[in-house]
Amino acid sequence: MIRDELLKSLLPLRAVLVTGKGGVGKTTFAASLARFAAQSGKRVLVTEIGSEEATTSALADAIGTPKITEQPQEVAPNLRVASLAPALGHQRFLRDVLPMKILADAAMRSSAIRRFLSAAPTFPEMGVLYRLLDLVRMKRRDGAFEHEMIIVDLPATGHALALAQIPASLLRVIPTGPIAAAVREGLELLRDPGRTGAVVVTLPETLPVSEAIELVQGIAEHEIPLAHVVVNRVPFDPFSDEERDFIRSLLGNQRPTLGGRTLERIDRARVALGRIANAVSVPVGVLQDVWLDGPRLAEEMASLMAVDQVEVGPTSVRRKEEGAA
Amino acid sequence: MSSSRPPDVRPTLPETQPTFIEPLIRDKRVIVCCGAGGVGKTTTAAAIGLASAVAGRKALVLTIDPARRLAEAMGIPEAARAPAPVPRAKLAALGVPLAGELHAWMLSPEIVFETMVRRLAGDEERIQQILKNRLYQHLSKIVAGMQEYTAAEALYTLYSEGKYDIVVLDTPPSRNALAFLEAPRKLSLFLDERVIGVFLPKKGALLRAASDLVERVFTKAFGEGFYKDVQDFLGAFSGMFGGMRAHAEAVRELLTSDQAAFLLVTSPEPAALAEAGFFQQKIAELGLPFAGYVLNRSWAYTRGFIGPEEIALPEGVLEHERVALRKLTQLADAERWRAQRDRDLLARLRMEAAGARGAGARHDGRDGTGAAIATPHLGGAVEDLAGLAELARNLVHLENA
Repeated sequence: MIRDELLKSLLPLRAVLVTGKGGVGKTTFAASLARFAAQSGKRVLVTEIGSEEATTSALADAIGTPKITEQPQEVAPNLRVASLAPALGHQRFLRDVLPMKILADAAMRSSAIRRFLSAAPTFPEMGVLYRLLDLVRMKRRDGAFEHEMIIVDLPATGHALALAQIPASLLRVIPTGPIAAAVREGLELLRDPGRTGAVVVTLPETLPVSEAIELVQGIAEHEIPLAHVVVNRVPFDPFSDEERDFIRSLLGNQRPTLGGRTLERIDRARVALGRIANAVSVPVGVLQDVWLDGPRLAEEMASLMAVDQVEVGPTSVRRKEEGAA
Repeated sequence: MSSSRPPDVRPTLPETQPTFIEPLIRDKRVIVCCGAGGVGKTTTAAAIGLASAVAGRKALVLTIDPARRLAEAMGIPEAARAPAPVPRAKLAALGVPLAGELHAWMLSPEIVFETMVRRLAGDEERIQQILKNRLYQHLSKIVAGMQEYTAAEALYTLYSEGKYDIVVLDTPPSRNALAFLEAPRKLSLFLDERVIGVFLPKKGALLRAASDLVERVFTKAFGEGFYKDVQDFLGAFSGMFGGMRAHAEAVRELLTSDQAAFLLVTSPEPAALAEAGFFQQKIAELGLPFAGYVLNRSWAYTRGFIGPEEIALPEGVLEHERVALRKLTQLADAERWRAQRDRDLLARLRMEAAGARGAGARHDGRDGTGAAIATPHLGGAVEDLAGLAELARNLVHLENA
């Protein structure tokens, strides 16, 4: 069925990186995808980047849980949520590379090392990457993956790219040794279209679409496979072309009229959708504007996703490596 | 023009009046715009800079947003080594004469960092030693984290040079902006001697055990070369730490003084409002002077609007035209609902801003606090100087719904 092809095509992936500018509904999409995948029978872990210190969490609101912890916690059947904490990544990393667990724990207890790792630029991001890798590798007793799909709700645009740029950049500084091996493994995962897919979320407005196109190009530069673009909060358009032309001419010589701003918004959305569909080679999904918030919004969106037609963009899924996955 | 009055208009209000932002652009040395991403923070910062310049001040807009949106709107080159003036002629042609000056700068971490090294390192040999260090090159090129350090550093430089009357700072989106607010403190943590000390060859007996452990960990984890790079880097940098710490402290002092004002930019979206609440709490915790809210993307302003039902269709209109107008009436009803929701929100934000002022006792009463809507008529994004100029006018003088 073409209807939910967009979401179903994400189901085989091990890591889905949800990215986009702030305020576009990224977190809501991540939460909705998590619910959809969990309901489809996948063991899902949905994550955000941060530590337990964070006092509020957009993901916690969207998924409907009071607090997100560093260790995965179950919030629904098949659905877990956690924060990707740099410190856990550092600890795990030290345990992996140091000959004795006791030495790694001693190292993590050393405030000098902890401070260095948390304050030196790029080390937190490296910890996040390592933590993600650890969660991706984690297996159950029966040999199956503990989390079949891990969804990462990435921070806003610039920093999502920064996170992607770190592995390659680190390899230039530290070309050999265990950290280089770990970074290479992370990079391999991030660049494997059979396991990883980025979803760029945006809004049907001029600037957000320009930035989404920029982001898509940046993702391509870092060789991270792009799976989909999702345009969120697309306003419902009640007008036929004929009706629109009439209203345009009618409003042209009136004082500012209520309803006019909504019409302008609808027109901008049409242009923006056309632009993004032309600019990217992956399917573009459209989500209607829904006036809800919090977990109700995520649930509503999950149900919309299951029925919403992909209206623009090429319908063929252009992911050449898919057959190999 | 229709002479009948739409129901939303309250007729007794004055045409325009100064908003709470008006005194800020005249008196403050630094205005910091915070908020979630996608709420128009960069544009608001640019408009505030423009308003200050119109009011006669020499204003600089500093943005650390890597999407470089401001550049597009203001015609500023990317990766410039120094602030560039926004052409007066362009603005004058739009009927916006500048009594002062407007400059803008897209912060590049690499350039700011290099400038700092050149200023603090002393002799040329040491400068080259630092600039050629592999770790330095890595750190100065990476975007994550460095933006926050360099924003604080650039703010220090610009402020201490005193070339500008006012610096308007656009923070990175969302949570990263908090890293900026905390950058000075975080930088001090990183530069703490107890951290640095363990990496340096010369050390006291107390540090020896710790540094042996650090060396083992780093050599095991990163390979020998990297540990040496860190040592070289910190060795070369160690002479600069005093200066960097002093800068960080000066920035913290400036940002907590009454010369600074923090504005929270938000949209009516629940997610953006939640972020704004988070920021307000953070601003209070850090003891920063909170001035108020700018509500963007709101439908609150309906002054002078008419309803579609007031439009009389001429004789003999076609059926589809009648249908179209009916549909517009439905959109108008939704807009009325949104306008009311946003006006309620504005009232709530005003109360919260006043409450924050009372609790913080940071303002002496002359300073403005409150909430303002920035984009009464502009439905879409501000993409050119004309839009920016209208935004600037509205921010300082508007009868706010």
